[in-house]
Amino acid sequence: MKEENIEKLLTKLANNTIENTRPDLAEEIKQNIPKKFGLHKNPLGTINIIIDLRVNKLAAAAAIIITMFLFANFFAASNSQTDGLYNEGRMLIKYCLGRTNKTENIKLSVMPILYEDLRQKGKDVIYYGSSIDTQDSNAVLMQWKIGDGQYKVIFPDLSTRTVNAEELIDLLAKMIEKQKL
Amino acid sequence: MSLFAHLIIGNKGSDRSNENLDEKNDSLIKRLKAGDCNAADELVDNYYEQIYLFMRRLGHRRQVAEELVQETFLAAWQHIEQLRRAKAINCWLYRIASNVSSRYWRKNKNNKAVSINGIYSISDQEISYEQPEAREQLNRLANAVRLLPVKLRQAVVLHYMQHLTIAEAAQAAEVRQGTLKSRLNRALKALRKQMTEEFGDI
Repeated sequence: MKEENIEKLLTKLANNTIENTRPDLAEEIKQNIPKKFGLHKNPLGTINIIIDLRVNKLAAAAAIIITMFLFANFFAASNSQTDGLYNEGRMLIKYCLGRTNKTENIKLSVMPILYEDLRQKGKDVIYYGSSIDTQDSNAVLMQWKIGDGQYKVIFPDLSTRTVNAEELIDLLAKMIEKQKL
Repeated sequence: MSLFAHLIIGNKGSDRSNENLDEKNDSLIKRLKAGDCNAADELVDNYYEQIYLFMRRLGHRRQVAEELVQETFLAAWQHIEQLRRAKAINCWLYRIASNVSSRYWRKNKNNKAVSINGIYSISDQEISYEQPEAREQLNRLANAVRLLPVKLRQAVVLHYMQHLTIAEAAQAAEVRQGTLKSRLNRALKALRKQMTEEFGDI
């Protein structure tokens, strides 16, 4: 069979392969076109980047928090911003760890960073580190002065509280007393 | 007369009607780019039948073809800013439809193309008056087209069945004209081989 004949047959086939569409197809297509669609995309629109890394939750949380602190330092964030970062980091840790007791590990990596950050900002900060009993929820893990007789205190469960000088002395006294026992 | 009907009649229309069509398409594109939803509806009305038929001729089942047509128009609406000329609207839609179809075949490698001889309808009676051998020939050819690799099938459908010129078909397939011609040659050779084996030298 010659190729010209094939071409003729193809044309014939095309003329004989016509099918009526479903009557409501056009309406369905029209309905699926979003009526409020933004035709011209905003160049500053959101870009979603998803990175699928199979890493330990703990390592991921630590990496995120360290990055946040580094950014805060790089852009010379204010103290309130650093505090905000700390609080968000704390929530992140709790979320990542599923409220388990693994917080011990994360503290070891996060707390020294926070300590260094506050110290560089000229804060009068004290970090008690591994000298405290982490099972004691009232033990003071870190403290720094935030204003007139006011201190910010971080506890082993990573919760924070603002206390006055008297309350701080009381907390420290109880902590030392328990350590002696 | 819908644009589809116009295309079925073929390129026999006068230059005057072509000019009118270009003007109409120009206006349509302007309204589409302005976000006019009525223009989007008009685009669907003008082209959905031929895009549906294109999908069916590429070997998609009826339901799949309908879904792919919807996907094509949604993609067209989302990328309307890429359309430049009124004359290119046909090729541009075929290009989107071709991409949508190719993506479907890539995702559903196990799905086989259905033969286009299964979609006779309008001219069915006309065929039945012909000799049974002629009908058998068309059925065999339809089956041979179905068995062509996706790219060759796409070239055949665009040029011989949707009646796009070589330049238009190349644009729709996003290849150079030389590449499209080469694909058509390979497709014709494959089809000829298949038909000669079954019907001998006609």
